[in-house]
Amino acid sequence: MRQRRLKAGIAVGAVAALVLSACASERVEDAEDLGYDPDATLIIGTAGEVTSLDPIYTADGESIRVARMIYDTLLDIRPGTTEVVPGLATSWDSDPSGTSWTFELRDDVTFHDGEPFNAEAVCANFERYHNLEGAAQSPPYYWRLLSGGFANNEPEAGLGEPNYQSCEATDEFTAVIDLAEPTSRFPRLLSLHVFGMHSPAALEEYNASDLGPWGDVQWPEYSTDHPTGTGPFRFVEWDQATQEVRLERNDDYWGETPTVAEVIFRAIPDETQRVESLLTGEIHGFDLPAPAHWDTLEAEGMNLLVRDTPVNLLYVAFTQEGNEALQDLRVRRAIAHALNREGLVNALMPEGAEVATQFTPPSLPGWADDVITYEYDPDLARDLLAEAGYDEDNPLELTFLWPTEVTRPYMPSPQDMIELFAPDLEAVGIEVEPISMVWGTEFIPAVIAEGEGDLHFLGWTGDYPDAFNFIGTWFASANAEFGFDNPELFEKMAQADQTVEEAERIALYEELNREIMEFLPGVPISHMPNAIVLAPNVEGVVQGPLANERFDQARILTE
Amino acid sequence: MAMESANRPSPPGPLGQRKAEKIDRLAELAATPPDERGGSVVQESFRRLRRSPMAIVGGAIIAVFVILAIIGPYIAPYHPIATIAIDQVRPGVIPGPSAEHWFGVDQLGRDVYSRILVGARHSLLVGVVATLIGFTAGAIIGGVAGAAYGLGGRVGRAIDSVLMRFMDMLLALPTLLLAASMAAILRPSLQAVMIAVGVAVVPIFARLLRGSMIAQAQRDYVLAAQALGVRRRKIVMAHVFPNSLAPVIVQATLTLAVAIIDAAALSFLGLGNPDTAVPEWGVMLAQAQGQIFTRPTLAVYPAVAIIIVALGFTLLGEAMREALDPKLRR
Repeated sequence: MRQRRLKAGIAVGAVAALVLSACASERVEDAEDLGYDPDATLIIGTAGEVTSLDPIYTADGESIRVARMIYDTLLDIRPGTTEVVPGLATSWDSDPSGTSWTFELRDDVTFHDGEPFNAEAVCANFERYHNLEGAAQSPPYYWRLLSGGFANNEPEAGLGEPNYQSCEATDEFTAVIDLAEPTSRFPRLLSLHVFGMHSPAALEEYNASDLGPWGDVQWPEYSTDHPTGTGPFRFVEWDQATQEVRLERNDDYWGETPTVAEVIFRAIPDETQRVESLLTGEIHGFDLPAPAHWDTLEAEGMNLLVRDTPVNLLYVAFTQEGNEALQDLRVRRAIAHALNREGLVNALMPEGAEVATQFTPPSLPGWADDVITYEYDPDLARDLLAEAGYDEDNPLELTFLWPTEVTRPYMPSPQDMIELFAPDLEAVGIEVEPISMVWGTEFIPAVIAEGEGDLHFLGWTGDYPDAFNFIGTWFASANAEFGFDNPELFEKMAQADQTVEEAERIALYEELNREIMEFLPGVPISHMPNAIVLAPNVEGVVQGPLANERFDQARILTE
Repeated sequence: MAMESANRPSPPGPLGQRKAEKIDRLAELAATPPDERGGSVVQESFRRLRRSPMAIVGGAIIAVFVILAIIGPYIAPYHPIATIAIDQVRPGVIPGPSAEHWFGVDQLGRDVYSRILVGARHSLLVGVVATLIGFTAGAIIGGVAGAAYGLGGRVGRAIDSVLMRFMDMLLALPTLLLAASMAAILRPSLQAVMIAVGVAVVPIFARLLRGSMIAQAQRDYVLAAQALGVRRRKIVMAHVFPNSLAPVIVQATLTLAVAIIDAAALSFLGLGNPDTAVPEWGVMLAQAQGQIFTRPTLAVYPAVAIIIVALGFTLLGEAMREALDPKLRR
């Protein structure tokens, strides 16, 4: 008996020694280790798939998120800020007129296919944008915004004269871009990864610019299988069956070497399922968790990175074209007074969200503190409607379009939003017909291109820190979404856009914001903080106010 | 019987076949001759029904549901779309049940108890209208096919064959899938749900009525009428058709349960009333899903409501089927 006990004691001791030595050896390895696994794969859940891997053809967050990994831009945004910093260009300057811009480029960059990056490559990229033809003129929203047109506009595209004139490589690493008119958009819009620099050789080899004749877009091989940039990650594959985009580390990256070996973007359209996937460890993180899930995610120990100075706006637009009632300022004011915006912000949005007073977020210069405001006042709304000739016997009837299958940084849950606002409007005697449409395929074309419906929800996340990126998006020219013609306003907007002097331009923005709120083309609703959530073992991701995180410095910690 | 089944091909696939067999069995029941007491099938069945506890429970549930659906909006403590407690809700914070709000409030501060009550009317309306659509269209198609078959002739058989093979094709599809496809084609609306669910159950009624009419055609009274020289057309219209309706009414009760569940499913999938503020159990369930981490009980109320009502109709329907079926009589 005693002997047996002794044996057992020896055995236990031996096991303990083994375990301890194993621990010790692990610890030694850890000390040599970096504290994170450089061979790890980072898996990010996304709400949807990319539309094209060639970002010039995209304007949505899901696509640009992937482009940010593969491509670099001439100008960049410092992580965690809205500050514009050098990217592939080390410096840039314009002549006094603001129309001729000289970019000095980095001399140590090569594309993923081994081609050198230089001034000729930059000019090849700009010339390509400028000379896009046929169906390829339809998707590049941001090029049309930047330049206004192409070298040969398709007659059906309804575009104007291009502002872009030419690009010249004055020496190997100096490119000069000439514009017709100065614009506040240039060059800051170039920090958006839509304008990532492509390898000219790859563009040509895989027919990147050939989307077929005007009409239906046919994606070329480049857009689906061969994106070639200079970024921290190389493209591996886009598996449309599993809805995954797979990227691998670019070991020759000119910047800081990426700290993960692979990145996978996996589309998981359902929010609840994204939360579950994160909690079970299937993914390492996802962007824009619903505010209702923030507490749960934090309680589960997840890393919730809140972007707490939101550069975004949610609004209700009035589509005036073809609706006499909405052309009446009294009706527009009545609607603004009828909506309980504060109720919506409190019920649906996280702490730090605020009711918007104008179409520019307060964090941007150009925001005016003395615009006319429209308090929640149903009685006043009813009076204004009565003045405009609408009452119980002759009620105002409006359709209200709202999107499904989407969360945006400014818009937590469209269905809850419509369920709050439709009754608000009905309470003052407006008969509302809510119409739901799928975000990407129905809603956006209907409200942006066709100007359907009377009211709709939409919003904007800033691309670069300038008020024109907000008010200029909607009110610089007549468009289908708002459906009004106000030449005086458009004229002033153009004047502000072309003002090179910063202080002068900002004063003009403030004046414009005051005028816009008097004219009331829509009701600005809110600015909302939003978040990105990561597993507790992921570090190195810095959330930015423009929601433009790169995951190249993400570190997956070893236990 | 053997001759019968020769005229009765089953729709493709095991699902359609099972459905078809169930319908055909019900169709034959009405043709069973009256038992030794000499009462009619319907009288006899009703007598049995009154003694069945299943029927009593089912009937009681339906009675309560119908009463609530009618008076619900008047006894609801709050307006169902009034966001009365909006001050108390925040993202991730929803107050639970209290003396003021028996079932608590939802993510927009609306009273859940009031919404469930008012939602009952909606569910009843959709269920009844959808069943009526299916019943009417099914009765017309089944009646035409049955009459054509009964009146005989090569043309009659051909009409019957074409109509029934088309119905069998529809029957082979799961009802919910058929309804969802229909609803997706129509623009999402309350009417679309009613039509979609109604159309999805048409083949059930059609096959049932046709089968029932053919079964009746073998009965003695038809033979007697023929012997008396009554015209075939009159026999089919005035005697066979009305006598074939009993199993169809049983089926309508069972279909109401399916219609209510399917209508809730369509709303849950976002194919229902686009004004989602209007309380509807399926929509409430879908919205509760978004709050599953915050207040999971929000999903329980509409789910339990749907289950209880569907259970009521199923119990009553099954009890009726049992009462009609001589093989199941105790």
